[in-house]
Amino acid sequence: MLMTNLNVVGKRVLRQDAYEKVVGGKGFPVNFSLPGMLHGKMLRSPYPHARILRIDTSRAEQLPGVKAVMTPKDVPQIPFNPIFFMPAGSMGIHRDMLILSDTVRFAGQPVAAVAATTVAIAEQALQLIDVEYEELLAVFDPEEAMKEGAPEIHVGVKNNIRDTPSFSAGDVEAGFKDADYIFEGTYETQRVHTCYMEPRVCVSDTDSNGHITIYSSIGHLFGLRERMAYVLGLPVSKVTAVQAPYVGGSFGSKIDFAYIEALSALLSAKTRKPVRFEHTRYEDFICNARHPMKVHLKTGIKKDGTFTARYASTLCDTSAYSTHGPEVILVHAYFGLMLGYRSPHMKWEGTVVFTNNMPGGAFRGYGAPQAAFAVESQIDEICDKLGFDPIEFRLKNTPRQGDPHPFNPEWKLNSYALDECLNKGAERMGWSQRAKTGSASGAKKRGIGMAAHPLWVSGCVGFPDIYEHSGAIIRLNVDGTAYLSSATMDIGSGQNTTLCQIAAEELGLAFDSVRMAPGNTDNLPFDAPTHASRVTYSSGNAVKVAAADAKKNLLEVAATVMEANVADLEVRDGMITVKGSPAQAMSVADVVKRAESPFMVIGAQGPAPTTLKEKGTIMGISSVAPPANASPAVAEFVEVEVDTETGQVKVLRAVYAHDLGRVVNPAAAEGQVEGGLQQGIGFALMEKMLFDPETGACLTSDFLDYKMPTAVEMPSKIECIFIESNEPTGPFGAKSLAEACLIVPAPAIANAIYNAIGVRIRSLPITPEKILAALGKL
Amino acid sequence: MGITATVPGKVHITLKVNGEEMEVSFAPYKTLLEVLREDLGLTGTKHGCELGECGACAVLVDGAPLLSCLTLAIECEGRAIETIEGLANGPELHPLQEAFADLGGSQCGYCTPGAIMTAKALLDNEPEPSSQRIKEAMAGNLCRCTGYQQIVESVEKAAGCCRHAERVKA
Ligand code: FES
Ligand code: FES
Repeated sequence: MLMTNLNVVGKRVLRQDAYEKVVGGKGFPVNFSLPGMLHGKMLRSPYPHARILRIDTSRAEQLPGVKAVMTPKDVPQIPFNPIFFMPAGSMGIHRDMLILSDTVRFAGQPVAAVAATTVAIAEQALQLIDVEYEELLAVFDPEEAMKEGAPEIHVGVKNNIRDTPSFSAGDVEAGFKDADYIFEGTYETQRVHTCYMEPRVCVSDTDSNGHITIYSSIGHLFGLRERMAYVLGLPVSKVTAVQAPYVGGSFGSKIDFAYIEALSALLSAKTRKPVRFEHTRYEDFICNARHPMKVHLKTGIKKDGTFTARYASTLCDTSAYSTHGPEVILVHAYFGLMLGYRSPHMKWEGTVVFTNNMPGGAFRGYGAPQAAFAVESQIDEICDKLGFDPIEFRLKNTPRQGDPHPFNPEWKLNSYALDECLNKGAERMGWSQRAKTGSASGAKKRGIGMAAHPLWVSGCVGFPDIYEHSGAIIRLNVDGTAYLSSATMDIGSGQNTTLCQIAAEELGLAFDSVRMAPGNTDNLPFDAPTHASRVTYSSGNAVKVAAADAKKNLLEVAATVMEANVADLEVRDGMITVKGSPAQAMSVADVVKRAESPFMVIGAQGPAPTTLKEKGTIMGISSVAPPANASPAVAEFVEVEVDTETGQVKVLRAVYAHDLGRVVNPAAAEGQVEGGLQQGIGFALMEKMLFDPETGACLTSDFLDYKMPTAVEMPSKIECIFIESNEPTGPFGAKSLAEACLIVPAPAIANAIYNAIGVRIRSLPITPEKILAALGKL
Repeated sequence: MGITATVPGKVHITLKVNGEEMEVSFAPYKTLLEVLREDLGLTGTKHGCELGECGACAVLVDGAPLLSCLTLAIECEGRAIETIEGLANGPELHPLQEAFADLGGSQCGYCTPGAIMTAKALLDNEPEPSSQRIKEAMAGNLCRCTGYQQIVESVEKAAGCCRHAERVKA
């Protein structure tokens, strides 16, 4: 049963940083500076594939104001993988990047770095560095890269094939024989960028013992510490990563190490001065991006609308380095392509290929948007062709509440309301009135489409070798308030506020009595990165456990002071009362004051020895992982208008229905849906990174060339339907939200376009050119 | 021949920022954005591109919204510069700031100062903009978090408050 007598959870509270941000946000990492700080800049290779024969830095070093120059020979040659969510030395990841390398594998890879007294001098110094390159043949298309005779990008990696993961259940060939119909199609998605608005920035400082402290815009504090130590060859205790109170967006990008963090530390260690790096927008664009994927689907269907076999293959361009490729393709396969829809026979084969393209990174949805575009488009094709209702069809082939979790049968889908998402969303959109495909008249045609995502995650519990535990510390203050400390990074979506709500609810305090107190890796317990839609569920769980611990300690002191049984006490709204006799009450503040006071109490007769057994600060701590990985469920309905003369598509309306277990903060939840739709419209209709086919240089490295939706491209109303199914393993019933908001929009829009104009476009983005070509007008 | 820095000498001028005259020395090629943030310590104004494409750096100069990353600071001598720091009156926030905070117009908050300054220029000139008009006026302010819905709603709410305040004054 959903707890209904909650005071703070579920309330539309004001984000704790809201007022700070509207007056200019002093706490952003980009504002951080230290006295005597130097400024770092990187020299980047103009070639996509080259060997460095010689670097001459002598002229740069003579430039007044230049304090240090670094080339590959000056940096530790310790290969690393930038992903923070796996241990730096994990067997599960490929380590093939270097801070600075003699081999360049993508255009823009750094080859040298400078620290100078001003940015202008650092930039001038870069011009004075002479690099002699031996150009090598480059390859940018993953299919070309696999051919015999293609340039070898990493020594010994045959045909540039990094990995070929696969899985199968049952016998797909037999399944296809059983099928009444077989559908086949290839679906392509493009390289898109997260476009966080605050540039990547960091300041490293080295003390006289060689201890490094780093302030940065990163999305994982402990990952930063671990990776810094690893690449510099230091023990982790020699590095401190400091938590910024807030960061200007990440959407996945900032859960990876970039070059600047290591270079700032090395330059700082050398100069013994703080060194700051800040990316230009161009540098942000080529730092990391979503993996382009080509998905082939073959699906066997029975007349009754059930699957007999599902086969899929995926080609993933992992770029110049392994980074996320081998990992993202697995999440894509299991949680994107295969496990959401039942079939007796399934098979998937993946290929992860090196090219000379810029590094792949994490981006909200992590492989699932690429998968959902394929699966949900094909289901629409099946329903259209065979006359099934897309909602009934989905309900027939998806899991039910109470079913074993398809990823790990030891877990159950305890709370799971895809049916409600589909039915309520359909009703709100007026799905039953949807016009027949292609029946709209006039040049501007309207259409309605939908997509679902039946299975997703609330973190990484169950994935091998991926960090998932979280910790929290709660301290009670003598004024009856509490400080919450957690290494979770609030990258913009308001997690700090959500976590404070969870703490306040558990402690029995008012929302504004709990404040997030930032810390650093020296004084905070470990927390996994802000990714995988995990913070509310997983960090929230740790916060709840810490708060329960603090509450237990609080009530033990209160029981002594109030001469009552601990079991009889309850705390609500900052007051501790004895159950059944509300007159016997004491404020939390008074109890904490007693615990914190010196060993005397002042009574009517003057000072008397205290009778308290528990003395000292009342605290609670935790370090835990949740017992399972609860699946949210989601469906989105959109209405579009396609101008068949210009090929322009406008999204007119969106209805988003999501079973998130429990809404902790409705305002923040709506913000996730609306922001996710902006990114989804971009992915569906306009965003695509382009590169010069000869040089590999990024041609879309600013916001004029990389077009993302502005206010005018957004629908005037985005409607949210939140379904509270009350997940027993989540804090106060909560599951997850963030990523699904970007998984479903693209296929929903593609299906709506099909409904409007009757032509199917199987590659993103669906540009006006593609629409006009599909209509035979180009 | 020795290597020398090509950095020119500094200019010394007075800028009028948020109603206050501020003397400042800076290299003449510096943008208003850089001088505000680096030389005057006014870090409220943000930058997302420094190419005039994101709107994060918008400030008002003589009442008009201007991208401070594309404006040379020396060109602003004698002109009235308004930044996000000048909007609140002590602890009393401008209605736009109140509305952005209350309605979720600010998520990560990085685009917020530029968005609020752009919205202020709009409301100063057009106290009753339609939501379409607000969207058009804000189309140069990129935001990757909010999907703009709560930004537009914030501006609408602030417009109502501003009009109310005007009426009370009258
Ligand atoms: S920083 Fe000026 S428009 Fe982007
Ligand atoms: S609130 Fe994050 S970019 Fe606008």
